[in-house]
Amino acid sequence: MDEQFKFKKQYRNILIIAMAGGLLISVAAILVFKPGAPRIWANVLLNNQFFLGIALGAAFFLAVHRIAWSGWHTLLQRLPDSMTTFIPVAFILMLLIYFGMHDIYHWSYYEGHDAVLEGKKAWLNVPFFFIRLVFYFTGWITLTWLMRKNSNALISSSDIKYHNRRKIFAGLFLVFFAITVSTSSWDWIMSLEAHWYSTIFGWYVFIGMFVTSLAFIILLIWFLKRVGYMKYIRSDHVHDLSILLFAFSIFWTYLWFSQYLLIWYGHIPEETTYFIKRLENFRPIFYINPCLNFIIPFFTLISLKSKRNLDWVAIIASILLVGHWIDYYQMIMPAVAGDSSAIGVLEVSLTIFYTAMFILVVFRSLSNGPLIVKNDPFLEESMNYES
Amino acid sequence: MENKKYISVYFDDEMPLLQAVGMLREKNENIIDVLTPFPIHGLDRALSIKRSRIPLVGFIFGALGAILGFGFQAWVFTVSYPLVFGGKPFFAVPSFIPITFECTVLFAAIAMVGTMLIKSKLKPDKRFVPVDENITDDMFVILIDAENEKTTLESVKSSLSGIQTVEIK
Repeated sequence: MDEQFKFKKQYRNILIIAMAGGLLISVAAILVFKPGAPRIWANVLLNNQFFLGIALGAAFFLAVHRIAWSGWHTLLQRLPDSMTTFIPVAFILMLLIYFGMHDIYHWSYYEGHDAVLEGKKAWLNVPFFFIRLVFYFTGWITLTWLMRKNSNALISSSDIKYHNRRKIFAGLFLVFFAITVSTSSWDWIMSLEAHWYSTIFGWYVFIGMFVTSLAFIILLIWFLKRVGYMKYIRSDHVHDLSILLFAFSIFWTYLWFSQYLLIWYGHIPEETTYFIKRLENFRPIFYINPCLNFIIPFFTLISLKSKRNLDWVAIIASILLVGHWIDYYQMIMPAVAGDSSAIGVLEVSLTIFYTAMFILVVFRSLSNGPLIVKNDPFLEESMNYES
Repeated sequence: MENKKYISVYFDDEMPLLQAVGMLREKNENIIDVLTPFPIHGLDRALSIKRSRIPLVGFIFGALGAILGFGFQAWVFTVSYPLVFGGKPFFAVPSFIPITFECTVLFAAIAMVGTMLIKSKLKPDKRFVPVDENITDDMFVILIDAENEKTTLESVKSSLSGIQTVEIK
């Protein structure tokens, strides 16, 4: 019951070495290959968005389960809970974008007359961009902190008021998140091509976030079970996570395809530019994206046996994490770096740096308390859960 | 069913029912059926009922629906009746996808319902004869095969002595 994850020195050292190595190689790659400022900033933005997405998806996972009075996730709730501690780190990293504004957001410095950009000026201007950024993060950080605080209070106290409180904060978070996840994806990704717009874009980005965070939760469980923790997580819990992973991969494809189909059908020049760029210069990436994110999970997770096999699901989860990184890559890179972009040393090393940093933050927070929230009213249900 | 001899055990809750199923199976009693007002988690496992193969039917017919739906459109728009829509090529794959998807769902759903009806021998004039009116409301019933010598009312009563039952008859 009081099982606690011990953040061993060995893990910490590996992660710190990976962080330092990733950062050093990235700096070296920048100095040696001179990839140009747009590509560097696009990489920073990509990884910020990817790992912030995992953290936000985890918060969404918790909020949605709490507001639905779900019982099964109770045993593993500390994992997404600790993943949300990355959001403050992502805030600082996102503020760094200030120094790269002019390199990646062409609406921030254009010269001469541009009717479209002038029409969007009320929303797309640098001060308001950062006011919004601070607003989003304030909301996310405060609400996830309040959820986490009340959840952790249930470890030591059996007062039901903490449970009721975190349910209220979960509801507030969902309302706030529903709006800000769309607007933030317009701000940070869609406005890279400020002349273009797609009304489904916010959902498309959001489902990608949720899939990555489900995949990350599965990988965390796989790791923790491998090193001997969380014996009580049975294939029933894994089954439910896999169902979500499977279903939301299909939903992601639905949104991906809807966006493509409507633009393809409508054939309006200001909309098709998005896909022309990607199909002309990024054809392999464009086609690899639905293969990794739809075809592989669809056929590998469709049977019941595969959904209940943690090792197997962990493999698919890692494929999906790579797949959604590539999904962000094809959203961001063609818009910013154009011909100069490629998946090279810089991309790989910077992603390793971010991954190590993310895991470090998650493990630190996870090791702060027991793995089970002992007084959660749904604990019994989760222990005896059958799916 | 009508001519068969059986003993029915009534419960008013699911937990004693699950316990009783386990105990009866330990005693090697033959359970004909368990009737409940709502699905009970873990009952299939307790009765060691094999998993239904309905999902396989769904997959096969879904795949068939996808192939037929896509193939039909491809045939219509390239061979049978080619028309130009909005300057698109005749073989315009993206525009076929929604209908292919709908055909997949339609075939899978109808095939699964149909298979279920056939396998459980449900047909339009099928009459439902309840063992007891109460099982359609709030009672949980286990029907035990009493054809053999050793299963008697007394033996069932004694093997379920510790469990809270409503009636055994």
